[in-house]
Amino acid sequence: MKIEPLQPANPAPVAPRLKVVLVEDKPDLRDSWSRLINSFSDFVCVGTCVSGEEALRTIPTLRPDVVLMDIFLPRMSGIECTTRLREVLPKLPIVMLTGVEDNELVFMALQAGADGFLLKHTKPADLHLALLEVRRGGAPMTSEIARRVVESFRRPARPSEPGVHLSVREEEVLILLSKGYSNKEIAEQLSLSVDTVGSHLKHIYEKMHVRSRAEAVARYMAANA
Amino acid sequence: MTSLTNHPLWVPARWKRRLVGWLGLWLIALVVGSRPVRAGLTPMEEVGTNDAVAVANSLGRWIWDTNTFDKQTCRLWRTFEIPHGATVSLASLRITVDNGYRLFLDGREIGRGSDWRSITVYDVKWLLGPGTHVLAVEGFNDRLAGGLIFGLYIKLLDQRVIPVISDTTWWIVPLTQKNWETAQVPTPEWHPAVVVGRVGQPPWDRWPMGMVVEPPLRIISVAFWQTLWFQALVLALLGAALLACLWLVTQLAVQSRAQRLLQLQRARIARDIHDDLGARLTQLVLLGELAQNELAANSGVRQQINQLCEKARELGYAMDEVVWAVSSRRDTVRDFAAYVCKYAQLYLKDTPVRCRLDIEMDLPPIPFELALRRNLFLAVKEAISNVARHSGASELHLRIYRLADGLQVVVEDNGRGFAQTQADPLRNGLQNMAHRMAEVKGRFTLTSQPGGGCRIAFEMPLTTTRTGPRWLRKFFFGADQLSELDNLSAVANREAEMKGTASHEN
Repeated sequence: MKIEPLQPANPAPVAPRLKVVLVEDKPDLRDSWSRLINSFSDFVCVGTCVSGEEALRTIPTLRPDVVLMDIFLPRMSGIECTTRLREVLPKLPIVMLTGVEDNELVFMALQAGADGFLLKHTKPADLHLALLEVRRGGAPMTSEIARRVVESFRRPARPSEPGVHLSVREEEVLILLSKGYSNKEIAEQLSLSVDTVGSHLKHIYEKMHVRSRAEAVARYMAANA
Repeated sequence: MTSLTNHPLWVPARWKRRLVGWLGLWLIALVVGSRPVRAGLTPMEEVGTNDAVAVANSLGRWIWDTNTFDKQTCRLWRTFEIPHGATVSLASLRITVDNGYRLFLDGREIGRGSDWRSITVYDVKWLLGPGTHVLAVEGFNDRLAGGLIFGLYIKLLDQRVIPVISDTTWWIVPLTQKNWETAQVPTPEWHPAVVVGRVGQPPWDRWPMGMVVEPPLRIISVAFWQTLWFQALVLALLGAALLACLWLVTQLAVQSRAQRLLQLQRARIARDIHDDLGARLTQLVLLGELAQNELAANSGVRQQINQLCEKARELGYAMDEVVWAVSSRRDTVRDFAAYVCKYAQLYLKDTPVRCRLDIEMDLPPIPFELALRRNLFLAVKEAISNVARHSGASELHLRIYRLADGLQVVVEDNGRGFAQTQADPLRNGLQNMAHRMAEVKGRFTLTSQPGGGCRIAFEMPLTTTRTGPRWLRKFFFGADQLSELDNLSAVANREAEMKGTASHEN
């Protein structure tokens, strides 16, 4: 664990910079990412972790605003690490980083408690935007993931589980997303503000986490029955 | 007071039951044991001495070789004739040799005997037809006197009688002669048999002591499929066919296994390349972006580095496509839809055409063969790029639906369209698409009119190739290949398990 010294690019910051912690096992990528994050005027990388185990130890003490988590980590995977972090810090936004857009894994990570995902070769401008959106609540979601989410919520829950359902508006947002509409276009279509669309997304993510936790509890109960 | 238990005949109830059981078993054994048991398979009949004497009257003399000695083998031979057109109504052959014999009729052994004191009677009616017949007796003398006594009484349907008895018309065949029992004429080395005694004279004065009647001898007609050699041949052929089948199946299994393994290796290499190169490429892009950030916004170098980053990203996408095309990890219809959507969105991102998706919910994870998905993807790619380049449309609808037995992909735009007879600038692309679809037995339909957009529908059949129970696949394709497949598909499961245990622990 290495604490980066705070080096504000702007000597007199208007607002406090948002703290980011990066979990990534490859040293080169770790350095580049932290430099990239530090290059944004409103974000700062306050720490990097090389493994999920280290992340579990240090992140609760660092209290970051956003965590960027590599999905493939040695030993404890990023997905498992996310699950465990969620237990300790339920409100902490966690964004998964993936090299390839593997929907199955991404969907799994989202269920585990992640609030969004980013491709590792995302353009800096898009990365900046995504970080801001995560901060506001509604992390960006691709059409494919949106479709998966709709499918998973439409599938009937097992009787032992408490039903978690999407509201009509949330499902509308998801279906438009799955058809390839951007957040802005969705806001226009549904006569909402872009922020409202974002908060809908945030609720959808939360419901996914609740649902997957309920499933886990149901599995646990079944295993111990 | 006398206790009942002291009574000598008293037995406890438990023993009583056992006693009754044993008694029952013993009774059953008695009944079964007393049932008459059939002894022997040939009905033998001991005949009274009076009958035997009467029979002896129709016999000839005792004949033998000129010399008699102990442990002597003597071959006696003669032929007889049954007239042309005659039918045998009765043929009774009586024989005995002191001490034993083998009897051949027309070269076929019909009986043996080793007890000279009783006569054996053979009914050979069914073996005799018109023509010459050969009688051959190989006699064996153990010690002292040796002799053959023989009588064949043949009665024809027309009441004629042909008697063949043991007399000096028989020939003695040297032991060196081969196939003597089938010989038709005597050779010069042979000499006639001599009479060594009469019935009732010593040493055969108290003779015969009994008679054994054999059941009638018949020629069993054996159809060719009942013969041993034929059955053996059929069995051998079957065995050979089975072996050939097994060999072919093994070859097939080996070949398909080799092919599957090759495919897996290819996928693994592609994935390894991708994982390694992908990470380095990501690194390259990041470094480029960082370098860009540190340069002035308008500098030419920054523009160039930006281009460099773009090129590196494109390279990453291209690599993704290659890996996707050969990877067997995500090879279902569902993954195909996801991939095509991603491609379309990425491709159209920087064009004025907005991409709208209409994908059937809950597409099943049916396996989608490499060749099929590749061709379909390339055809769809062509269609999308046509829309972007030629249509002038503002919206493209990509629809993926499952048909009853296949998959339909529709690329629809709201562009200027064209009269289908004047599709010249598109001709190459259209031909390509048609060709690709034909290659996978799919269909390709285009509907367009000037000003009314264009709709291209691709339809292709889906066939599931992974059939058969697991053990059968394991038998034919081997365990390592299966485990390899399992490894590939287990990545996601492992993640899920890890997640599961994580939640259990807490």
